[in-house]
Amino acid sequence: MTWLKSFAVLIVAFIAAPLFIVLPMSFSNSPSFEFPPPSFGWTYYQAYFNDVRWTEPTLNSLMIGAGTSVLTMLLVVPASFALTRGRFKGRSALNLLMILPLTVPHIVVALGYYYYFGALGLVQTRLGVVLAHTCLSVPVAYLIVSAALKGFDRNLELAAQNLGASPLKSFFLVTFPVLRPGFLAAALFSFVHSFDEAVVAIFISGSATSTLPRKMFDSLRMQADPVISVVSALILVVMTLAVLIPWLMRRRLAAR
Amino acid sequence: MSRSSARRDLTRRGLLLLPVVAFLTAFFIVPLIQVLMLSISDPDWGVENYTYLFSDSFFLGALGSTFLTALSVTVACLLLGYPLAYVVARSEGSFAASALLLVGLSLWISFLVRTYAWMVILGNRGPVLAAMRALGIEGGELLFTRFASSLGMVHALLPLMVMTLFSVMKKIDPSYERAARGLGATPWAAFCKVFLPLSAPAVINGCTLVFITCLGFYVMPVLLGGPSEQMIAGLIGQQIEELLNFGEAAAMSVVLLAASLTVYAIYSRLFGLDRLWGESR
Repeated sequence: MTWLKSFAVLIVAFIAAPLFIVLPMSFSNSPSFEFPPPSFGWTYYQAYFNDVRWTEPTLNSLMIGAGTSVLTMLLVVPASFALTRGRFKGRSALNLLMILPLTVPHIVVALGYYYYFGALGLVQTRLGVVLAHTCLSVPVAYLIVSAALKGFDRNLELAAQNLGASPLKSFFLVTFPVLRPGFLAAALFSFVHSFDEAVVAIFISGSATSTLPRKMFDSLRMQADPVISVVSALILVVMTLAVLIPWLMRRRLAAR
Repeated sequence: MSRSSARRDLTRRGLLLLPVVAFLTAFFIVPLIQVLMLSISDPDWGVENYTYLFSDSFFLGALGSTFLTALSVTVACLLLGYPLAYVVARSEGSFAASALLLVGLSLWISFLVRTYAWMVILGNRGPVLAAMRALGIEGGELLFTRFASSLGMVHALLPLMVMTLFSVMKKIDPSYERAARGLGATPWAAFCKVFLPLSAPAVINGCTLVFITCLGFYVMPVLLGGPSEQMIAGLIGQQIEELLNFGEAAAMSVVLLAASLTVYAIYSRLFGLDRLWGESR
C-alpha cells in the first residue's frame, strides 16, 4: 500500500500542477512565458483591470452565464417534474432528447450555429450565445434536478395538500424548499458551464461580444499577451473558493 | 382514473414539457439538421463531399490518428486514474479527503486555464526544458507536438476518470476482500478476483466518457498540438475559419458525429444509456 500511496501522491501532484504555475506567473513582471518568473509585481493585474479588451469579455461572460442559468432552469425544472413523475408513452424518447446535446461534439454544434445563427442574424450577439449555451446546459441540469426529484418523498406534498394547500402553494411551501439544494446545484452548474464554454463561443460570439474563453483562446493562440496569466489566476482563485467554502462549511457542520 | 382527469393530466404534462421540447427543436435539432443538409448540398447537391473526404489520404490519416490519440489518452487516464481512485476509496484521513477535493476542484477548472499552464510548463522558457538543459540534454521542442496535446488531454480528462471510478469504488464493501483473504487468497488475488470485477462497470463508464470527449476535443489539440498533426475537430475548425469551406466542414462533422454516436450506441446496447452519467454524479 505504501508504494501505491506514493504513486497516488505523484498523480495528485500532476493534477495540481497548474495551480503552482498559474499563481506565481500572474505576479510576473516579464512579458514572456518564462518560468520561474524573473521578477515579481502587480503589473499585469493593473493591466487587466484597465484594459477594456479584457474587462468587456469578462462582463459578457458573466451576463451570458447568468442568462444561460436562468433560461436553463426555466426550461428544465418543469420538464423534470413531468418526466420523473408518472410513466407515459414517449417518455423515453423525451428523456433521450433532454440528454442529446451532451452526446454531440461541440465543434459540430459550433458549425451548426455558425451557419444557422448567421441566417437568423444571431451571430455576434449575446442572445445567440445564451441560446446555444442553454441547449448545452440542459442535459446536466436535467440530470441533477431529476436526481433530486427522484429522492423527494411525495407524501410531504400530499400531506400539505390534505391540510388544504393548493398545488401551487404546496410547491412553494414544501417541494421547492426541500429541493432547493438540487436546484441551486443545477443553476450553478449551468452558469459555470456557460462561463467556461469555449468552442461554440469561439465560432459565434464575434469580436464585439467576445466571451472570456474566446478572448483567452485568441490570446493563447497569439502567445503575445501576458495578461492571460492574471485572468487564469483569477478564474482559478474564484473557482477554488466556490468549491472550498461549501466543502469547509459541510465539514464544520459534520464535526459539530 | 376517469377520462377527464386523464385528459387533464395529459394537458398538464404537455404544458410542462412543451417549452423545452420547442426550444431544443428550434435551437438544437434544426442546426444539426442543417449541418447534415450542408454536407450534401454545398457547393452542389450530392455526396461529393463524402467521396472526396474518403479518398483524401490527409483526412483519413487525421481520422486514424484522432482515434489513436483518443485511445492512448483513455488508456493513460485509466492507468493513472485507477490507482488514485483505489487509494482514495480505500483509505481514510486527510490525504484521501484532500486528494478528492483537489480532483473535484480540477473538474471545474477551465480547459483554457490548464492549457495556459501547460504552455508555460512545456514552453521554451519553461521549467521542463530548463531542467533538461541543466542535465545536458539538448532536447528539441516539447510544445506544439502530439506529446503536448496528449499530455494536456490526459490532464484535462483524468479528474473525470477518477471521479467516475471513485463513485463506484467507494460503494464496494471492504468486507468482501477481507472475506476472500480470510479464505486464503493473497491480497493480489483478492484484488483481482473480487475488487477488480466489481469495479469493472466504472472502468467501462470512465473509458467511454473519456474516449468520446477526446474524439471531439478542440481547444487543447489546436493550442498545444502541432499544426501539421491536427485532430478532426481542429480540421473542422480550420475549414470554417480559414477556408470557409462549409460543405467539407459539414461532411467532416457528420463523420465525427457518426463516430461518437456509434460509441454511444454500442454502450447503450450493452449497458443502457441511463447508466453512463448516472453514477458519476
